Formats: sequence, C-alpha cells, structure tokens
Amino acid sequence: MAALVLPAGLLVLLLLVAPMLLLARISLNQFSPTEMMVEATTAANYLRAIQDPYYQQVMATTLGVALGCTLLTLALGFPAAYWLARMQSRWKSLATILVLFPLLVGNVVRAAGWMALLGNEGAINAALKGLGLITTSLPLLYNTGSVVTGIVAVVLPYMILTLASVIESIPRQAEEAASNLGAKPFTVFRRVVLPLALPGVAAGSVLVFILCMNTYASAVLLGGPQFKMMAPAVYDQFVRGNNWPFGAALAFILLGVTLLLTVVGSTLLGRKYKTA
Amino acid sequence: MNITRRATLAGAGAAFASITAGLPGIARAQAKQVVVGTWGGDYGELLRANIDQPLMAPQGIEVLQDIANADPRKTKLLAERQARRGTFDVACLSDTDMHMISAQGVFDNLDMAKLKRGAAILPALAKPYAVPHIYSALVLLYNPNKITTPPKGFADMFDPKYRGRVGFSDILYSTNTFAAAMAGGGAFNNYAPSQKKLMELRSLDAKVYPSNEALAAALKSEEVWMTPMWLARGFMWQKAGIPVKHVVPSEGAYAIVFEMAVPKNSRGKDNAYAYIDAALQPAAQAAFADRMGYLPTVKDAPLPAEIASQISLTEAEQARLRAPDYDYLLKTHAEILDFWNKQFKA
Repeated sequence: MAALVLPAGLLVLLLLVAPMLLLARISLNQFSPTEMMVEATTAANYLRAIQDPYYQQVMATTLGVALGCTLLTLALGFPAAYWLARMQSRWKSLATILVLFPLLVGNVVRAAGWMALLGNEGAINAALKGLGLITTSLPLLYNTGSVVTGIVAVVLPYMILTLASVIESIPRQAEEAASNLGAKPFTVFRRVVLPLALPGVAAGSVLVFILCMNTYASAVLLGGPQFKMMAPAVYDQFVRGNNWPFGAALAFILLGVTLLLTVVGSTLLGRKYKTA
Repeated sequence: MNITRRATLAGAGAAFASITAGLPGIARAQAKQVVVGTWGGDYGELLRANIDQPLMAPQGIEVLQDIANADPRKTKLLAERQARRGTFDVACLSDTDMHMISAQGVFDNLDMAKLKRGAAILPALAKPYAVPHIYSALVLLYNPNKITTPPKGFADMFDPKYRGRVGFSDILYSTNTFAAAMAGGGAFNNYAPSQKKLMELRSLDAKVYPSNEALAAALKSEEVWMTPMWLARGFMWQKAGIPVKHVVPSEGAYAIVFEMAVPKNSRGKDNAYAYIDAALQPAAQAAFADRMGYLPTVKDAPLPAEIASQISLTEAEQARLRAPDYDYLLKTHAEILDFWNKQFKA
C-alpha cells in the first residue's frame, strides 16, 4: 500500500523539497552588490529581518490582514455554508458550482476587475460623480479595505465548501431535538451546530489563513505601492533588490510564522472540540 | 465510423505535431530562431513590426519574444548564468540594468567584426558588452495649464505651491532618488542628499503610483502636475492628449539608453548578431522615434523635422546630460531601494 504514495512523494521531493533546501542554503549566504552572493554560513539575514522595525511592521500588517480576513470569511461563510448544506432542492449542485465560480477567474484578472471598480476613475466613483453625490473621487483603492475586500472574495469559496461538507454531516435531528426541548434558534446554533461544526471551522480557517498569509497579487494590485505584505516584500528582495539571501530569509520567516500559528491555532481549536 | 489503423496513426501524428509545436527546444532543430527577451507593450510591438517581420523573416529567421518587465528578466538572466543553455539569445535592458547584469559575467563581449552596422553606432553610446538600441533623456514633465511659469529643474518639485501635485512612478525609484539628490546638491556619484530631500517631498504629500501607466492616468486627470520622466514618454503622452511639457533640469540629468546584449549561454549567437544588426537599420530606428519618441543610436537614421524638433535636445540641453555613474549605482542600488521602500514610502 505504501507504494501508492511513491509517485506523489517523489514529485513533492523533487519539486518542493529540493528547491526549499536550496533556498535554505541561499538564506545563509551573504549579499554583495557587485558579486550578488558570497558563500557563507551566517544568520545575519534572519537577524536583520527580525530586528528591522520595517519588516516587523510588514509582518504585523500581514498577520493583521490574514487574521482579519480569516475571521471575516468565517463570519460571511458560515451562514452561506449552512444554507448550502441544508439545501434539499435539485438546484444544490448548481449552487455549489456558483460558490466555486470566483475560483474560475485568475487572481490577477479578478484584482484587475476590482481596480476597474474601485479606482479614482473607476465605475463606483464615476457613478457617484454622475449622480452628483460627490465632486472629488473617494479613495477606494490602495488601502487596507481594498486589499481585504479582494482577498475575502478569493478565499470565501474555500471556507464555504469546507464548512458545508462538515455541516452536512451533522444530523438535522440533533437541531430538531434541541428545538423540541425549547432551545431558541440562536441557542441551537451556539450549543449544537457550532460545536459540532468546529472541525470544519478549524480546517476552513487554517486553509484560509495560509492563503491570506501568502497573498501576493491582491496586495500588490489593490494595496498599491505603499501597502506592504510579506510575499511582495520577498519578491521585492529577489527581483528588484537582487538580494537573494535576504529574500530567502524573509521567505523562511514567513513560512515559519505561518506554520507556527497554524499549529497553535488548530491545537487550540482541537482542544476546544474535545471539551465541547 | 470505421477506425482504421492508418487513420489512427495519422491522427496520433497530427496530435503529436500540435503538442510539440509549442516546444521551442524541439522546434529549434527545424528552423532558425532567435529568442529576444524584451518588454511588451509598444516596445515589443515596434520590434515585431519593424524588425521581426520586415528584416528577420526574409532571412529565414523566426523571432520569438519572451516578454516581461525588466526585473523578472534580470532575475532570469542571473538565475541561468551557470546554466549551459540560457533562454535568451538577445537581452534588452536599460543601460543601468545592463551594467548591473554584465558585472555578474552574464554577457559576451561583443564581436564587432560580426556586426555589419557596428560602425554606424554613435561613439558616445558604444559599450564593449552591449549595443545601444534607442535613447532618451531624463526630464521634468509638467502640466502647462496648471504650472504657468515653466519650472527650471528638480528643485521646483519642492515648491510648497505644488503640495500634493508631484507624482512618482514606483518602478523609477532609482531615477526619482537621483532627482531628489540633484535638487539637494548631490552629484552623479553622490545620492546622499536624496534622503533628506525625499523626506521633504513626503511631507509635501508627493504621490507614488505603481506604474508609469498609472502615473500617466493621474497626469491626465490633473491629479498631479509634475514628475521626473523620460522625454520620450513625455512625447508619447503628449500625443495621447495628456497635458505635459518638458524641461531639461538645470541641475543636470542623465540619458537613458535601452541596450541589447548577447548572453554567454545563448544557443544561437549568429542569429542574435543578425537580430542586433537589424535593430540598428535606419528604418527600424526611425520607427521608434516616430512612435515612441526615442532617439536613434546610429548616425544615419533619418528623422522627420517635425519629430526631431520635439524629441531632440539643444546643445545647451545636451551639455547638461551625462551617463549615470554605473559603478556607484551598482554599489548603492540596494540602499536606494531600501530607503525608497522603508522610509519614503512607509
């Protein structure tokens, strides 16, 4: 049976682990403007990234956006997932496809659409100006709000589908029993549905959180030049600064923080699930 | 329908042909090809219309454009420099980028004997590792409707009258830093004054746009009135109805040269030289001047008088132009980018 894992395992080893190891090695090298990279074994790149207030701020923004988007996605996704899971009609598969619809459009294309809507000369500002409600454009683009909007639109389907599959497995009778015993709808949700759906909440949140932490296109295109998250900062070091060692160190720090928070988060939720 | 063995074979053959048509490695064995790493947009399109089709196709050489912005292509050149076979046969980059990549030993020194058009190149622009393709000057663009007294130089960006009306293109961080440095009494090999001056601009609400195109839109809507930019871009924008005029800054400025070079690991060097020769043909050069406002880099390219008057520089203006200090930029590039990102834009 173990042989079944072999093809996928080899592929991952070749395409993921090998480049990661190479990148780990590069992160210990020294940057030189004239020679690009000098072979070394130094932790200087990591120390610089951790101590520099600028990168602390970039990491804080990244964490803030990722956590905020995860919570917002959860809040928006849960009712939709519940509705989808409890749906009896023959339109259910169509509704599922509709949820998936945003994923059919590439990240960049979708961001371009948001830009056309939110820009200074975009559709919303043009409409408001046309109606005479405003005279100067509202700054809708290039701020945290536009980035969060863009990201949530991308990750919402992941959350809804993950939650829906778990909610579907909660027997409807459990909710009916609670109602019969006098529980109000909100109490049914709080005491019955939510605790039973916790594994889905955990899985969906982890998935969404990881996607948000690594946001690139939405952050660059909707955040504008002044908005910095970690993935664009890594790209900047590799491609604009030619500083591969520092870029590699930043990439591993992003990976480490994401991994740590994912493990901590799912452990906490897992514990709650056991006690619930 | 009867499926015969013969029809199946023919179908499989056609399917294989259509799959492999997209693979340059296999296709390369059949025809003469040259892979040109270039910008897309107008530049790529003009290369196609004025070099690839009229000059290369008759020689039986097919041109494949590998299109991306300069930064990803620089990274590709660096990442492939140890590889036996590289992607590009011809790399197109600006002079500063070209120097930076050349310093990493990526390019061949050019064999001028192989270039038929080598003798026509303007001597001031000649380099051992690259051929100049087109060039223009760094100028200060301003909106003549809003700024009625024409500015003299970069120092005018700091006039409190223009608070919030100075715009920058984010991708030109190095050039913008240079402009700030010169306004603060800096020099081609001393950008140190730029730090104080950039922070001054920041407190004057200078705006940063993610691309040249976004900056153009802001100039058009008259959201900003002034920006350091290439003269050729100003010419194009003017043609597109954007209200801008230019001045060659009194502090001095540099020329920007877009160059072509042949990577050491190019797989078709003869074709690469043929391509560069074609790019130096007078007709191809004149096309770039006509459409994009870039000046020819060869002595014998004819320019219509009307265009020449818009994009050429007077002798006094030319005297204010110099080549950037490439070695200084190579050493300070990371620092310039860091300051731009971490202090100015923060």
